[in-house]
Amino acid sequence: MASHESPGSSAPPATPIDAEPTHSEDGVDLTLIRWMLSLTPTERLEVLQECARSILRLRGEDVED
Amino acid sequence: MKTSKTDYLAILRALVEHHVDFIIVGGVCAVLHGAPIATFDLDVVHSRAPANVDRLLAALAWLDAHFRGQGGRPLTPDRSHLSSPGHQLLMTRFGPLDVLGVIGRGRGYDELLAQTVSLDLQGGLKVRLLDLQALIQTKEEAARDKDKAVLAILRRTLGERTKV
Repeated sequence: MASHESPGSSAPPATPIDAEPTHSEDGVDLTLIRWMLSLTPTERLEVLQECARSILRLRGEDVED
Repeated sequence: MKTSKTDYLAILRALVEHHVDFIIVGGVCAVLHGAPIATFDLDVVHSRAPANVDRLLAALAWLDAHFRGQGGRPLTPDRSHLSSPGHQLLMTRFGPLDVLGVIGRGRGYDELLAQTVSLDLQGGLKVRLLDLQALIQTKEEAARDKDKAVLAILRRTLGERTKV
């Protein structure tokens, strides 16, 4: 398998070694949880409402704006 | 047919302004705690004390609440429905609202109250919701496939919150 590292390079890996994991062992996306936790409760509710409206639109329903 | 604009805040505001004693549970509760899940309805457990049922009836009338899935017959909930431990699946002018007498292993408003937290939302709107640990417990008790599906996310959200 070819290496993409330059000869003699000591460049750090793309993902820092001490970065937090993106997923749990059981497959849960931890980045989404951290993003939601960075929002206020009202903002979380607004994200949910927009999500619900988007899904309804994708299903072809005529949703009020 | 045009689908009503889903507005959970408007439903919650109507309940609060009618002085209804209720606890937010289910998917919206999970989202308010920071869990990245999608849901279409707002679930609340209400106090079934007679005076509170009266206030809830007034709030539901203001919201134009009627039972979902009744075809062309707009049936509205009455006192006997709201006094029972059953689940009333309603549609309001601001989207779906499930009014639940009990959840999990038959726990109602009075039994759940000790496991709730108070939260200030937009515009000074103060609501009460099940704490995340208790929400996980009720999902474990219900043990339906749909509950099991979100348990991993809820547990991880609890874990990430403790790091913040």
